[in-house]
Amino acid sequence: MTRLHHPLPAEEEGDRSCSTSGIALQLVVNIIVLGSIYALIACGYVLIYRVSRVLNLAHGELMMLGAYLLLATASLFNGHPAIALAAAVLLSLLAGALVYVFLMRKMTGEMVLAAILTTVALGILIRGAVLLIWSAQQQYPAQALGVANPSFSLFGGARISFWSAVLVAITIAVYGALFGFLRFGRWGMRMRAAGQNPLLAAQRGINLHGVYALAWCLSTLTGAFAGILMALDSGLTSSMPIIGLKAFPAALVGGLDSLAGALAGALIVAGAEVLLIYYVDPLLSDVVPFLVLIAMLVVRPWGLFGTREELDRV
Amino acid sequence: MFRPAPRASGYLHTGYGEDIALLQTRTERASLAVFAILLAVFPFLASPFALDLACQVFLASVGALSLMLLTGYAGQISLGHAGLIAAGAFTTGILAREISAPFWITLPASALTGIVLGFIFGLPSLRLRGLYLAVSTLALHFVVIYLGGEYETKRGFSTGIVVDPPRFAGMKLTDGRAWYFVLLAAAVVSLLICVNLLRSRSGRAWQALHVRETVAEALGISVARYKLLAFVISSSMTSVAGCLFAYYRGFVSIEAFDLFLSIQYVAMIIVGGMGSLLGALLGAAFITVFPYLIEALLRLLPNVQKLAGEIFAVNYAAFGLVMILFLIFEPLGLVGIWHRLQNYFLLWPFRYKPLAGARK
Amino acid sequence: MTALLQVDKIEVVYKRAITAVQGVTLSVAERQIVAVLGTNGAGKTTTLRAISGFLGIDDARVTEGTITFKGTRIDNGLPHDIAARGIVLVPEREKVFPNLTVAENLAAPVPRAGSSSERHRLNERTYHFFPRLADLRSRTAGLLSGGERQMLAIGAALMCNPQLLLVDELSLGLAPVVVQDLTRRLTAIRNELGIAVLLVEQSAAAALEISDYAYVMENGRIVLDGDRERLKSHQDVQEFYLGQAGGERRSYRDVKQYRRSRRWYG
Repeated sequence: MTRLHHPLPAEEEGDRSCSTSGIALQLVVNIIVLGSIYALIACGYVLIYRVSRVLNLAHGELMMLGAYLLLATASLFNGHPAIALAAAVLLSLLAGALVYVFLMRKMTGEMVLAAILTTVALGILIRGAVLLIWSAQQQYPAQALGVANPSFSLFGGARISFWSAVLVAITIAVYGALFGFLRFGRWGMRMRAAGQNPLLAAQRGINLHGVYALAWCLSTLTGAFAGILMALDSGLTSSMPIIGLKAFPAALVGGLDSLAGALAGALIVAGAEVLLIYYVDPLLSDVVPFLVLIAMLVVRPWGLFGTREELDRV
Repeated sequence: MFRPAPRASGYLHTGYGEDIALLQTRTERASLAVFAILLAVFPFLASPFALDLACQVFLASVGALSLMLLTGYAGQISLGHAGLIAAGAFTTGILAREISAPFWITLPASALTGIVLGFIFGLPSLRLRGLYLAVSTLALHFVVIYLGGEYETKRGFSTGIVVDPPRFAGMKLTDGRAWYFVLLAAAVVSLLICVNLLRSRSGRAWQALHVRETVAEALGISVARYKLLAFVISSSMTSVAGCLFAYYRGFVSIEAFDLFLSIQYVAMIIVGGMGSLLGALLGAAFITVFPYLIEALLRLLPNVQKLAGEIFAVNYAAFGLVMILFLIFEPLGLVGIWHRLQNYFLLWPFRYKPLAGARK
Repeated sequence: MTALLQVDKIEVVYKRAITAVQGVTLSVAERQIVAVLGTNGAGKTTTLRAISGFLGIDDARVTEGTITFKGTRIDNGLPHDIAARGIVLVPEREKVFPNLTVAENLAAPVPRAGSSSERHRLNERTYHFFPRLADLRSRTAGLLSGGERQMLAIGAALMCNPQLLLVDELSLGLAPVVVQDLTRRLTAIRNELGIAVLLVEQSAAAALEISDYAYVMENGRIVLDGDRERLKSHQDVQEFYLGQAGGERRSYRDVKQYRRSRRWYG
């Protein structure tokens, strides 16, 4: 789905530099890019789970919605790509708030399984709506925006595309901001408190609905970043949610309530996927994250950095 | 969730036979007889389309009942149902294609595949609960789908495996009406199996471990054994459903067994009403008929032309919407609505039961 | 003197089927420490939850009667609204955020409207009443001892700048000397800050030491109430809650007497 460059460089006249270090370097670059994608998506899962114990299985679809919203704003603000991008991001934030206020708020207090199934149903609803409005054909927001996606050569012959590089940079920025916010921000602390003990948080005057809505907004925001950047990089189809689902094992491997875990998990899953695709079988691409997930569930179900009691809570 | 249906008074049992009979009142027996007659007569009155619809409902019922057993009663959440159906269908397809096995080999073989897979799917449940268990079943579903896909590509069946209809004593089973009765029999047998399992020691054990595992274990119920049993029985029933599916459709392809199918089965037991076999049947009927209902509704609208090509997307959106509505407004499902109706008529002219011990 | 909190003949029903509390009337005046005594399952915690707005979680409702705070009705209200009005609950279990430090626990609560700028002053005030917490500022709350945890819980409640403190089972699991220390601090808080306290307790002796007025609950009803002296000297309270049997040995043959003498009002 992303423009990961194949490790074997294009044949150039008189220069067949298929050195193993060149291949290894390209693989590393690919792992970093794929890992960034998974990490950016995974932090959305972690945010909502950590704060409200709900697993948002509509995250992939919401991410896709962000990308399609970019298509809409691109045609609306023709000629002003920056405005179109900003508008798409803002609309996604709004979408997250709306989803919480009109849907998920009604499910607080119900069984966790019911809340999860509600997100599944929401995902299906979004998918249908997107298909209805935009049809299933492949779209190219980059063209609509009028921006290009050139490939750059890094040291050692590895290549990376422009938007992939932007994605890596944004992932780092997002994680830095989130870490800071949760650790030092006032509302970040409230989110952590609400996640640990919602009852007590409410007793201390923390507005739970506000905290949950904030979590949903942040999650949709980061998801929109991921969706938009991936769409700019390699086009947009209605099967983008599959990547969202593949990023979920990354969150779980690291521990569903740990941001640091999401980062680690994303790199592990991306590493496994890139290496196995290259050395074993390209068809494995869709199943590798789940194999890693099964392995993790067998060995350490609560993930690398998750809190152990999560297991018995549900 | 497990409340028994209201029973009539005035029926005094004088023997164990009467006590454990499935139908205990004259009304129940009469209504079942009427229903049975309707079912028997239906295929001779219905159009081929309706016949096919009924067959689909019966086929879905088998899967819905097995999932209800696992999730609604034993409380083990499973999102990998489509993978198990795929396993049964592929076993049938592979055996039929590779060694031309007749159905009386493929059917038990599918059941066997189900047993083995059920064991594998069930192993995580010994350590995990709730969300984590659901996720593990999801992961295993993808593994099964991958293996099916691998088989298709490696053996050159990239468009799917064609399965010949089964033979009974030299006769090929192709007639719509014949299939109706075969699938009806399958659904009835599944229902009877489920009903009797739930009334037996296993059923009670499952309900106990659903509510409180630690207490069940303290009462001497081997939780691990019964969890695995639930998975194994449910999966083998599901695989058999897959086998029937392969024969009925005549065609097996991995694309038919996507995550959406798993979600549809989960929707069946939720819309129907968790913890009730009647709910499984109602849910199966509802979800199976639903796309056709949407299509019919669509035809009533004026600008049909534009949306007709998008029927797939409309189905998707409508399905999601209905599921959300049920989860928010009617978590007890269709069975909940049915019970409310029953209560209304039972309690009439009163509106609700008074509080116990109220001093008013 | 008009009451700060007036609970008037409330009935609380769980899941529309089980009545947990019936006909309960109690009031707390300003600067008063009121105790609610009773054994397990008497309905004390349910009453506290009804006042602080936490019934919705258990699918329970106040179906009859009213709860009024400073003249406004608050029954079946939302928890953070009630906290914003000035009623803060110190719960029985899970009373701190275990993975946050002591300082973060004290920074998380939201002070009553208009006081957010006074956060620093409120913080200092908490450390004034519980100096031990100042030493434990960066300790993770989950690692505190029982007594320290209770101090942190009350301290965090103080951060909300309440007018009425609801304390659920202060003494549970704590050594008597720790309980004594805590009750003394509670009285100091009342004396210096003018905060009223509604204390729910199984340990009648500890509660009666500091309360001005007390109610006894049994089976969801109030069976006795009065000021401290009256309750302390009441024979039944002495026998069943304070463990003072009056000297002679009792044998099980006197069980009939045991039952008969438990005659309450109403």
